[in-house]
Amino acid sequence: MADAVLDELVRLIEEVVGPDVLLGIEVDRDTTFSDDLGLESIEFVALADRLRRHYGDRVDLVGFLADMDIDEIMAMSVGRLVDHIEASVGLATGRG
Amino acid sequence: MADVLARGTRFHVQRLGPTTGPTVVFVHGLVMDNLSSFYYTLAAPLAARDIGTILFDLRGHGMSARPDSGYTPLDGARDLVAILDELGVHEPVHLLGNSYGGVVAMRAALLAPDRVAGVVLVEAACGGAAGELWFEDMVNTLSVAALGLEFDRTQEQLTALGQRKISRLAGNAGALLNGTTLIDDVGSGPPLSEEDLRAVACPVLGVFGAESELIGAAAELAAHLPDCTLHIIPGLGHTVLREATDDLLATVLAWLRG
Repeated sequence: MADAVLDELVRLIEEVVGPDVLLGIEVDRDTTFSDDLGLESIEFVALADRLRRHYGDRVDLVGFLADMDIDEIMAMSVGRLVDHIEASVGLATGRG
Repeated sequence: MADVLARGTRFHVQRLGPTTGPTVVFVHGLVMDNLSSFYYTLAAPLAARDIGTILFDLRGHGMSARPDSGYTPLDGARDLVAILDELGVHEPVHLLGNSYGGVVAMRAALLAPDRVAGVVLVEAACGGAAGELWFEDMVNTLSVAALGLEFDRTQEQLTALGQRKISRLAGNAGALLNGTTLIDDVGSGPPLSEEDLRAVACPVLGVFGAESELIGAAAELAAHLPDCTLHIIPGLGHTVLREATDDLLATVLAWLRG
């Protein structure tokens, strides 16, 4: 269960950027969206959209993003987003 | 919310915040811009304060489709109204346009005055001498960029260097500038005339950087628009949205709350 949110996030990233981009990249909690994955800011919007549809009202993604500027968002690690989602949906136990 | 088909073209559309009550529709700038420049800076913070927001990628930009033609400001305004129709939004909305998007927003205010409650122009020269100079400058800059992207094989070189993100931006820009009528459309005619400006029925808030080359447009707006408020930010040029985000957000919030 511990990696369910990470696995789901990786699946959604792959949906947004296409499978080729993630070839040879092991996405883990330390992977960053901009530097490691080369995600464009518009692709992060598409990812946020998929997360909102997947988790619905259980995850306040808009409030989470509203507190950060764009550089902070793009420099964010996958783990930070996973933490927010896990804390929101009540799965923040037994990581790793 | 993602894809909306309007005027035969697929548009990438995002909505944040409530779907009732005051709504702000964002219109981004040309070529290297897309809705993401608003998503993080203004839309998410407004939505977090219970103001409805609608963002869309102009045709040929971001994740919207890239038809061969239809890139004049009037086309953009028709696209905007058609997207509102598809979304079932018939109450008047506030439009916020940055740079070229401001011209599209003003065109929409003239095209469909019953659908537009107000316009926020961020660094946009919509008409008069400042507007004509700016459009001429944009066409020249885009023409030079188009030649460079066509002959330098920029995208291939960037891909070879593993620069995925910049490579994709260059590829999209090249396809837009060299594969569509965008440059001709932007250069096809003057922006709004003084008569057009006088006919804008809704309130307009103009936000400019004091050091911007478009600052002359602020005085023209004040001279001709029936209802115009100006907010000039000292020490800034054209990059108001990016560099004075907090100031802009506070100004827009105060203006929306009247």
